[in-house]
Amino acid sequence: MSDKDDIETPLLTEAAPILEDGNCEPAKNSESVDQGAKPESKSEPVVSTRKRPETKPSSDLETSKVLPIQDNVSKDVPQTRWGYWGSWGKSILSSASATVATVGQGISNVIEKAETSLGIPSPSEISTEVKYVAGETNAKENENSSPVAGAFGVFSTISTAVQSTGKSVISGGLDALEFIGKKTMDVIAEGDPGFKRTKGLMNRNATLSQVLREAKEKEEIRTSNEVTMETDKKTHYGLLFDEFQGLSHLEALEMLSRESEIKVKSILNSLSGEELETLKVELEQLKEAFSLAEFCEEEEEEKKGDEDFTKDITELFSQLHVSSKPEKLARARNTAHEWIRKSLTKPLAENEEGEKQSEAENTEQVNKNSIEDIHAFAIRSLAELTACSIELFHKTAALVLHGRKQEVTAIERSQTLSQMAIVLCKELSSLSKEFTTCLTTAGVEEMADVLNPLITAVFLEASNSASYIQDAFQLLLPVLEISLIENKIESHRHELQGQKPLLEH
Amino acid sequence: MEAIWLYQFRLIVIGDSTVGKSCLIRRFTEGRFAQVSDPTVGVDFFSRLVEIEPGKRIKLQIWDTAGQERFRSITRAYYRNSVGGLLLFDITNRRSFQNVHEWLEETKVHVQPYQIVFVLVGHKCDLDTQRQVTRHEAEKLAAAYGMKYIETSARDAINVEKAFTDLTRDIYELVKRGEITIQEGWEGVKSGFVPNVVHSSEEVVKSERRCLC
Repeated sequence: MSDKDDIETPLLTEAAPILEDGNCEPAKNSESVDQGAKPESKSEPVVSTRKRPETKPSSDLETSKVLPIQDNVSKDVPQTRWGYWGSWGKSILSSASATVATVGQGISNVIEKAETSLGIPSPSEISTEVKYVAGETNAKENENSSPVAGAFGVFSTISTAVQSTGKSVISGGLDALEFIGKKTMDVIAEGDPGFKRTKGLMNRNATLSQVLREAKEKEEIRTSNEVTMETDKKTHYGLLFDEFQGLSHLEALEMLSRESEIKVKSILNSLSGEELETLKVELEQLKEAFSLAEFCEEEEEEKKGDEDFTKDITELFSQLHVSSKPEKLARARNTAHEWIRKSLTKPLAENEEGEKQSEAENTEQVNKNSIEDIHAFAIRSLAELTACSIELFHKTAALVLHGRKQEVTAIERSQTLSQMAIVLCKELSSLSKEFTTCLTTAGVEEMADVLNPLITAVFLEASNSASYIQDAFQLLLPVLEISLIENKIESHRHELQGQKPLLEH
Repeated sequence: MEAIWLYQFRLIVIGDSTVGKSCLIRRFTEGRFAQVSDPTVGVDFFSRLVEIEPGKRIKLQIWDTAGQERFRSITRAYYRNSVGGLLLFDITNRRSFQNVHEWLEETKVHVQPYQIVFVLVGHKCDLDTQRQVTRHEAEKLAAAYGMKYIETSARDAINVEKAFTDLTRDIYELVKRGEITIQEGWEGVKSGFVPNVVHSSEEVVKSERRCLC
């Protein structure tokens, strides 16, 4: 809650700047800062700033309906989470299931191999087992303090549900991944009675960054209370995402999005008749470009070259005509791929690669990456890549709003951005595939119940990452809307000035 | 990565375009100096932990703002949630020094009802031969506004640590004395997390409500 208020208030101040001329001693009384407000906030200041209120009037209804399910799920998740879920669940759902689907195919080969070497039952056998195990979820929930639980990051709610069944499930390859997808869908659908009529992302009652921030802060509290959980912290997606400044960029993007949305609304309200109709048509086109960004097509050519991503993304970026460059993103992505490549080739080429062993990180690579290392690096990479992607969207928004005029229309930009969102999601998906290949390769001798949760975690966070990116992408819509409107007004004004210089618009 | 810190302070870095705000922050957070860097778009975010006393760490969230006028409407929104700020000028650029007044006026309008503890930073002090602003006049201006003054160089890593940690210490003192308080709806100062080995996991949930003293 507090986030939102903070950000909106300055807007008001901006609209009506208070000019105090006589008062010219700013920092001098920094020592008496905030005295006015002090008395009010004496009690429980910590809680209020850090945590959003647990109960929200708007979600009361939802919460009560949801209660039965809630009992099923992990205890340390506050009720309100379900309310939030629903509001942005739609996009999670589409991306989650899509990611899982694409991802599933790639991994099935790998898993087949693993299965045969591990003597794991066939997928169909497991599917039946799934139903069985799913019933036991309840009982298992309470023991969920295993170190792995933390690895599931932001989506601890779902992951706890998935995790306990996941152990036996995941080796079933596609089956299991579908199961996760369904489970996710069920949880979301049940958690949000209004699921079917979720209108759009902008109607959410909690922003994505708030949800993420809450999850991160909870995790911070948890980790700081459990000193032994060093590794846990390293694999917590939310904390890492924040470390890469993903949360800040997301908030900044949300702020720009919200400001733009307000402007769009007020302009639309001020228009009428033909003017309004033509504008609406154009805005509709813009929206279309945004809804096309579904992650639907499967014609993904197998294994494109390594440089393609960088090339694609750079090209897309140049089409945007914003002065920001995707170098940071490309670097993060290439680092991840390089790491994977080394991790996979090392067992064979360990002796020959003498020249490359000079780097510091290679000292530990000599002892081959453990599955924990791979898992930690995978989560880290996903968090970094997502944070970089969101940073790019944020910068794009800032430049679309305040950059120099460019010869590119808002609709063209939306189409480019939508392609970019797809490229990014695909990249995350293929990256997660490669990481799980690493995991399966390195963990051939591991027990399934050690290896599988790690694999699940990677897929889950990859799918989460994809949904953050899609949500962030959606935040750009109002920004492009206002850009479209402003360009239109601008050109209209030019026309008027050209034709009838005396007429005021 | 270390999640254990006493407080989190949000600091904002402002000043004219090209005075070296991003370079100063990068030197502080990444320990590097980039010869070439693109102008900042809107805002950028950095963070670093600072140990102000043995065992007492403070997490700094640093908001790097674009100096360019066209982004002013974005950067303005960040004043309000900052507890401290570094106001930079370039000692080799007289104009950037003259604009210090304007920056202070601008923040004053947008920070209300809060206040920002500022430090005035004369940047690029490695370029002493091209100096256009004397230390004396900068100190005088700073004193007039009740600020400290410090000269830094990101390239030669002069006083970079000191600029940030001194400011952090000053804010910490104010917080400790209760002159700056944590408030709902204000992100300038947040309470951090202190390790607590004794609590069981049951209590951990409850302890979110604890007051940190």
